[in-house]
Amino acid sequence: MNRKTEGIDLLRALCLEFGPSGCEDRVADLIKENIEGSYDELIEDRMGGVVALIRGNGKTDKKLMLNAHMDEVGFMVREIRDDGLICFSSMMGPDTRIMAGRKVTVGVPERLTRGVMAIKPVHTVDRGDRDKSAPIDEIYIDIGASSKEEAEKYVKIGDYGTFESDFVQFGENGRMLKAKALDDRLGCALMIETMRKIYANKDNLTYDVYFAFTCREELGMGGVKCTAHKVRPDYALVFEATAVADIHGVPEVSKVAVRGEGGAVSIMDRHTVYDKELTQLILDVSKEKDIPCQIKKYVSGGNDASHIQRSADGVKCAVISAPCGYIHTASDVVALSDYESMCELTLAVLERMNENA
Amino acid sequence: MLNYLRELIKIQSVSGSEEKLALYIKGEMEKYFDECEIDPMGNLICHKAGEGKKLLFCAHMDEIGFIVTTVDDKGFVHFAPVGGIDFVAAAYSKVVFENGIRGIMVPEEGLKSDDFKAEKFIVDIGAKDKKQAERLVKTGDTFAVEPSYTRLRGSRICGRPIDDKIACAILMAAAREADKFENDITFVFSVQEEVGIRGSKVAAFRCRPDYGIAIDVTATGDGHGSKPMAVSLGGGAAIKIKDSSVICDGALVKKMEQVADEKSIKWQREVLTFGGTDTASIQMAAAGCKVGAISVPTRYIHTANETIDTNDAQACLELVVALAETKL
Repeated sequence: MNRKTEGIDLLRALCLEFGPSGCEDRVADLIKENIEGSYDELIEDRMGGVVALIRGNGKTDKKLMLNAHMDEVGFMVREIRDDGLICFSSMMGPDTRIMAGRKVTVGVPERLTRGVMAIKPVHTVDRGDRDKSAPIDEIYIDIGASSKEEAEKYVKIGDYGTFESDFVQFGENGRMLKAKALDDRLGCALMIETMRKIYANKDNLTYDVYFAFTCREELGMGGVKCTAHKVRPDYALVFEATAVADIHGVPEVSKVAVRGEGGAVSIMDRHTVYDKELTQLILDVSKEKDIPCQIKKYVSGGNDASHIQRSADGVKCAVISAPCGYIHTASDVVALSDYESMCELTLAVLERMNENA
Repeated sequence: MLNYLRELIKIQSVSGSEEKLALYIKGEMEKYFDECEIDPMGNLICHKAGEGKKLLFCAHMDEIGFIVTTVDDKGFVHFAPVGGIDFVAAAYSKVVFENGIRGIMVPEEGLKSDDFKAEKFIVDIGAKDKKQAERLVKTGDTFAVEPSYTRLRGSRICGRPIDDKIACAILMAAAREADKFENDITFVFSVQEEVGIRGSKVAAFRCRPDYGIAIDVTATGDGHGSKPMAVSLGGGAAIKIKDSSVICDGALVKKMEQVADEKSIKWQREVLTFGGTDTASIQMAAAGCKVGAISVPTRYIHTANETIDTNDAQACLELVVALAETKL
């Protein structure tokens, strides 16, 4: 089956694929099929990442790395109970508000099973606890098995899981996109589209450009650490999704970014102070080419840039993030226009870096 | 050394914005060292080739401060802390932005000091509304509590940021003795120490030293209500055994103590039960190296009145020079 797609279809296919942290193989395969014919060389990545190189014309010996992570927030099977219900550990942080009633996929790449996240019915919950979300050890995954033996045919301890969630375009003229894992398959899709365009015009490319699709970002373990150490880039651009907090009830001053106003460029987050020149170059290109982008207004979060920046003898890093509502839930929501403008801005930034080289 | 300190204090260098300070130090260091370069993260790396072992000394250039997140409708500046800020110490301080704009750091009216945190503070820069404020400062600008330098009785001084500009001044003063150095010496003026010892890691990877010695400030046990700690103000250069980020190399510590004794330099041992320094990241960079640290005993660290005894700083300077000129 040819799984090579583009535009919204590519984004949809990437988001729907199963790829919690530590189990990114299916996403890696899908990416490899989609970048086929758009690179010069695949670099071995022992952490399970996909790293592709497009060679420059040799005008500079500088190396540029583009990075997005393949993994999504998920969970891991911890125990299978006698009644066939499954206990799990979260790999998506402690927020259990987002879990009850969700459809999930559990398993390993070659063996996936569907289930739902089950909680006690409300009338059996103490009155005082009814408006609180259930603690994680009172949420189970029901895969429809009636006993431990039956469940063990489909699920094993140590299996991975993610939300099952459809990809929906909604709002006026389909301006918003909703899916699981937009963080960071959106970055992956952007890199694939960028690779295709750049490879088609590679005679003009001065830098060697490495496209690194990496693992385990959501666990903070940075599969990218080893990738960056191996590639030893001079510059790195990281494509990410960021929380926005642009919803009603959040104080004006706590808002991080606004959906629909372009990719968010960070000056500083909890783990990285970004390179000033590279960041300014992005802001300048955005202004000159009239491509929207915004400065992230809150020092929060972190991403693979922290590992890249401090790999080997140091790398100049910048990040562009898609403002993403309800991030790390089954319904990440981004504005289509932000994705499109980020793609456009990326090409324009690469072009400028080419000229400057 | 103290002349350097006075100059360095005036040049603001909040973590991530050390470039101006790096250029100033580079200008001085080029007079005494062969090669001075600034790496991708902004670390200033100065090298003086020599016959002996590769010995790296490191002082961090960055100071704690703040970064603008947004400006509200009243024209008040909201911010996030950069590094370990104590808001009891920062409340109602005068602050100064990189571009010279001044302001006052103000907590919400009526807020108890137990509830002090960044989200509850704003900086009043005297702007009458958002529009006016946004002409003066923008998201991502950094600022810090006003710098100062005050002489107290005897050999003691206070001000900010002593952490870690005193160490930068020590290395700059040591560089003037470069002719005497026997070892292959690198002075690293590192970035982003206060936000998690980030810069020194890549600098040490680049240099691959045999020995790494960080120069930083350390707490003391002789202040008003201090936790028990052997280090005292005026007790001499503190030779670090351990802090919560690092266990120093035992043989190097012994060597440092021995060299100090030989040169009659006043020293004391330091075990710090909290805090971390560049020592840790230097130790674990690349395939690792043997590390130690020399600390300037300092009271009221991370406040506007960090206090040191200049005789201790002088002892640290002498120890740096002694180690650089002793074949290791």
